[in-house]
Amino acid sequence: MNHRLPPADGEVLDRTKALTFTWNGKKLEGFEGDTITSALMANGHHIIGRSMKYHRPRGVLTADFWDPNTTVQVGDEPNVRASHRKLEAGMQVVAQNVWPSLSFDIKAANGLVGRFLTAGFYYKTFMKPAALWPRYEHVLAKFAPGGEVDLDTPHGRYDKRFAHPDVVVAGGGPAGLSAAIAAAEAGSSVMLVEHEHHVGGHLLWGTEEDRARVADLTAAALAAGVEILTNSTVTGRYEDNWIAILQRNHPGVVERLIKARAKTLVVAAGTIERPYVFEGNDLPGVMTSGAVRRLITMYGVKPGKQAVVFSANESGEAAIDDLRRAGVSIARVVDALTGERIVSTKGSKKRVKEVLLEDGAKIKCDLVVTAVGWTTPTSLLNMAGDRPVYDADAARFFPSGAPDNVLATGGMVGDGSLDDLIEHGRVTGELAAGRAAVVRHRLQVATARAETVDEAEPGYLADERTPLDRWPHPELFRASTHGIVDYSEDVSSKDLYSAAAEGFDSVELIKRFTTATMGPSQGKLETVNTVAVLAQARGDSIGDVGTTVWRPPYAPISLGALAGRINEPTRLSVIQPWHEANGATPILAGQWVRPDHYGDPLSEVRNTRENVGIIDVTPLGKLDLQGPDVANLLSLLYTNKWMQLPIGSVRYGIMCAEDGVVLDDGVTARLDEEHYLMTTTSSGAARIWSWIEMWLQTERPEWQVHVTPVTTGLTSINIAGPKSRALLGRLTDIDLDNEAFPYMRVRQGLIAGIEQCIAWRIGFTGELSYEIHVPSGHGLAVWERLLAEGADLGVKPFGLEAQRIMRLEKGHFIVGQDTDGLSKAPVTGLDPLLKFDKDDWAGLPEVRWSLESGDHPVIVACQPDDRSIVPEEAAQILRSGTTEIVGRITSSRMSPTLERSICLAQVSKEFADAGTSLEVLLVDGRRITATVIEHHAHFDPEGERLRG
Amino acid sequence: MASSITHIEPMPKASVRAAADTNAAAALGLTFGSAERRGDTLVVRIRPDEWYLLGDGAAPMVHGLDLTGYASTVDITHARHAVRVTGSHAAETLAKLCSADFGDAMTPNGAAWGNSIAGVTCDLVRDDHNGERSYLLLFDGSFASYVLRTLEDAAAEF
Repeated sequence: MNHRLPPADGEVLDRTKALTFTWNGKKLEGFEGDTITSALMANGHHIIGRSMKYHRPRGVLTADFWDPNTTVQVGDEPNVRASHRKLEAGMQVVAQNVWPSLSFDIKAANGLVGRFLTAGFYYKTFMKPAALWPRYEHVLAKFAPGGEVDLDTPHGRYDKRFAHPDVVVAGGGPAGLSAAIAAAEAGSSVMLVEHEHHVGGHLLWGTEEDRARVADLTAAALAAGVEILTNSTVTGRYEDNWIAILQRNHPGVVERLIKARAKTLVVAAGTIERPYVFEGNDLPGVMTSGAVRRLITMYGVKPGKQAVVFSANESGEAAIDDLRRAGVSIARVVDALTGERIVSTKGSKKRVKEVLLEDGAKIKCDLVVTAVGWTTPTSLLNMAGDRPVYDADAARFFPSGAPDNVLATGGMVGDGSLDDLIEHGRVTGELAAGRAAVVRHRLQVATARAETVDEAEPGYLADERTPLDRWPHPELFRASTHGIVDYSEDVSSKDLYSAAAEGFDSVELIKRFTTATMGPSQGKLETVNTVAVLAQARGDSIGDVGTTVWRPPYAPISLGALAGRINEPTRLSVIQPWHEANGATPILAGQWVRPDHYGDPLSEVRNTRENVGIIDVTPLGKLDLQGPDVANLLSLLYTNKWMQLPIGSVRYGIMCAEDGVVLDDGVTARLDEEHYLMTTTSSGAARIWSWIEMWLQTERPEWQVHVTPVTTGLTSINIAGPKSRALLGRLTDIDLDNEAFPYMRVRQGLIAGIEQCIAWRIGFTGELSYEIHVPSGHGLAVWERLLAEGADLGVKPFGLEAQRIMRLEKGHFIVGQDTDGLSKAPVTGLDPLLKFDKDDWAGLPEVRWSLESGDHPVIVACQPDDRSIVPEEAAQILRSGTTEIVGRITSSRMSPTLERSICLAQVSKEFADAGTSLEVLLVDGRRITATVIEHHAHFDPEGERLRG
Repeated sequence: MASSITHIEPMPKASVRAAADTNAAAALGLTFGSAERRGDTLVVRIRPDEWYLLGDGAAPMVHGLDLTGYASTVDITHARHAVRVTGSHAAETLAKLCSADFGDAMTPNGAAWGNSIAGVTCDLVRDDHNGERSYLLLFDGSFASYVLRTLEDAAAEF
């Protein structure tokens, strides 16, 4: 570590803990507390990366989170910010976007043709001929910047947390700390979010007294109960102070996204030092004054041997002191305040070697330090609606005004002594707490469940803060030469001039055309210089050019953090453990995990047709309906009639949306005078509950109907097959005789010793069947009793696949499979269920119009002429000999009962008549023929089996 | 783990729906969004016209109600499952999965409200036990396995 300085006050290193890591395969050593960059520089490595487009060697520019030149790959993680990421033992760090190596990068040949790679090069060059774009894309992808992603990398553990602090303070500098303390001491819950690893802001690389103030402020903040989040970024401010915070140092997780709903947001983001635009400004060894101060004071790194310092402010002066303290020779101080200017630099492939000044002097050096002014990172304020205004005297933008619940403080709103900044922060914190108290009071008063507040609403505090001064600063953006403006995107001031000359002369257009400000720094270093260069190119003022609108995120955020923990809700019936223990293959149907089959779905079909089968149909949506107006409700929502449904009866119905499209179907039973049980499709339960409540609460509020979802409360089992009556008869006191309990009836009674069970006689499979609903706590016991009691009858469970086959044999359509988002009720072919003599029902006008126009498709049953071929579901049906699509197969299976392939299809009406030959295009390109049959049912069209 | 997660099944539960002008509503009382222990039953006014009766006394309490008028009841013992999250980190555990403000001001002991927890619609009741913070979660029973797994995952860090 030949560039490491002796231990000194202010460093954040623990020199008792040496950490070994590798850089491009070479073993190196750093200390705990180092960033990757500081450790590399301490070891004499000054080139950390290559630029995106021209692959120019790049070294440290800012030595903090925003450094655009120090992006590396760590292990299998690409795009790591080396000037921010703390060094860890065993890290394998490699340069990215270089080939074959960092020191010799063949892609640097781009620099030789750089004059052809100006802004818009790709747009202009590769647009024609369009057919070649895939080839272009393939080649260009190899030049894309960024590291390498190992697709086998396991998904990291990311986390999420919701928070409701009274006040969020973005920025942990002196003003932010002071604001947080004042707000907390005024009774607010406060969350302080600091971007870097330590609070304190610029005081960290200041004097011993500065750091003592940081320690005092930090202790006061903790004592006041402020929750301090370091290495965390407020990435966005959204409506009503919804604040997104990315926390990078929460134990046990890669990153954590905090969704905070703050009553007041205090933005104390400080200022960011601007780079200076001049020829050679991206050579390794050219850096900002803040960078050298951080490297020397915090990380004990000597950034060079001989420096030229171009200074226009106190930060430059302080950097000179730090450099001298670090033993760096000061070759020349270029005093911007007296009119001295840098023109350009020259260097080797590794580092800056010489500076040319405006007076013609050429100064040898290996370090060029610039201190030319500040950018106000107003992003979070912009997200709240603020539009920054340029102040030429101070040479930076300032906020112009944000909503009342967003307050700015610290360096971003002005200048002053440390005491001035702390005082402004304190007053801001009190103001934030006062306004938060008003919001809190209003929330409590408006929320029934909240703690009762007896006090009157606190008075709303007006903003009576004394503004901070604005210290004069020379306008220093670009020298007389051209240089890099956006280091991340390799955009030069020359590119901006060219773009402006081509007509992209508004700040929003030039941003998109050149990509300036669109890199990982998100414009923090580049925006103001871009605006300044554009103003020069236009011959305009910076104020007139204005800025782009900063939008979220404040800093790039990982997709993993946005995703958080992967929580995908799944639902299980109480019988699911039995299914799994008995060899069922699970299938995810909506949110439900269900048994698809138990090994052989075809034999499950045969057994059900010949003996008796049972299937767990718990996911069927079930709604308990009570009240005097249930019949009115059913009549409104279903297309058929419900006013005269007798107690003890079950009826099938179709529901339509207001556009006439089939929304759901199912059966509803009348259990008592004002008590009904509705079933919906499994996936439609929540939707239909919501649909019903919408009608009751908005359209028919005078109707008295209570709706309670009981899907899970009742375990539902369908007992199907010719021996189903015999099986159920062994377990129930309900009279199952065909006369006493005919088809489409419901009965209540004892089943397997369980009271309050419901049985209705319906059949989706086409067999004699009973659907029983038992309280779920007893569901598994009843299931097992059915299997035990029916062993001699040949009872076997069957899964979803067998049910699908049997329902297809029977010709029952499934909403969402055989219908789609355009299928209005007449498509189903169930015209007798469409009752136009009712006053009204949901979808009536659209359904009537559809029926009268007659141009809707219809569902038909068809059978391939080659009975061995099962067309794929969604296979197209074509007009014979043409490519005109006239329909599609919606369901298809091989029927074990009929020993042939069977289908349902949606076809144009002219192809719907029985006997019509359809031409079906298979996925492999073959065309086969299928014949439309008379009924939807392929099997037992008269329904003798289910009525028997 | 500084918070305990307990699946408290079977627990009798009933839902009572009653319009404001009914005897049932008058008997059950409570402010919307609040809960109160009455003997061995926790009475929760979870929505303006809906109460939950939770605990062994639920059925007798229902039987004692005058359900004339626009009032009805449904036994939801098997439909809704209950999980209790108790302990010093109970609120922090839930705050990883739920957007509610678990602070004392907005959700004091006895508060009841509906919210999503890890994507599952839940009813929550703050029901502290012996001065220890505790939340009762009620949700569709088919999600029980998922909710328990997710809560335990969230609580693991504490």
